[in-house]
Amino acid sequence: MKEEQIEVSATTVEQAIEKAEEQLGVSRDQFEVTVIREANSEIIGTGNEETVIKVELLATQENNTQVAIETLETLLRLMEIPSTVEVSGNEARISLDIEGDDLGILIGKHGQTLDCLQYIVRLIVSQRVKTWVPLNIDVCGYRKRRYDSLDEMAWRLAEQVKIRKHSIILDPMPPAERRIIHLALTDHPDVITHSTGEGMDRRVVISFRRS
Amino acid sequence: MKELVEYIVKSIVSEPDKVSLTEESGDEGLLIKLEVAAEDKGRVIGRQGRVAEAMRTLLRVKAARNDTRVRLEIV
Repeated sequence: MKEEQIEVSATTVEQAIEKAEEQLGVSRDQFEVTVIREANSEIIGTGNEETVIKVELLATQENNTQVAIETLETLLRLMEIPSTVEVSGNEARISLDIEGDDLGILIGKHGQTLDCLQYIVRLIVSQRVKTWVPLNIDVCGYRKRRYDSLDEMAWRLAEQVKIRKHSIILDPMPPAERRIIHLALTDHPDVITHSTGEGMDRRVVISFRRS
Repeated sequence: MKELVEYIVKSIVSEPDKVSLTEESGDEGLLIKLEVAAEDKGRVIGRQGRVAEAMRTLLRVKAARNDTRVRLEIV
């Protein structure tokens, strides 16, 4: 596991920074340097006098992605699930996709197992980089397909509401899925959406917009 | 089995040195007992038990693949 903070010693500060770049595998602009002890230039070469710097990785998107990949790979290895982790998309959010054979076990009923895995990864990553990192985890594109079909379903149901002029109550869904329905219909001219119920039983209601 | 819990717990607590885990196998499969520093107990349980529940879910996936059962107890 890559450390977020290391100490490096060398003869000069510049050399120590170069050494840190190599050890961490990142460039100078991705960490912060604090000089702990600077070698006295007059006695260089005369003894053990060395320059010591402390290097702290900055919470950049690139570093966060790296930490997220390592965390997820470690969890999958410990769970003994043969798979590979790929970065999908590079928007403001970190999106990781787990690829492998027969990974339905990682998705679970209504994606509940996947939600748990994502929650644990978010928790560990946030703890390691000391800031909340928005990240999404998918398994073989499951979420993407599910979200696309929810979007399509939202429009289909909205048409029914428009024709029959009565409300439709959807099945209970997790927050991320309800959000997809709300977003899909937010600009729909004929329907409005809201949620009702508590916890695991919370459902979206699509109603006719009376003008 | 307990390595999975150990990795998760040690990554989220403030005192990783005070994490202790034991494994016992019985009729109902494996029982993992987890002990952490008093101030870390809330973190490993989580709001409405969410962290503990998520750990149990991941344990169940691993147990199912190994054809066993596993329980996690936070003492």
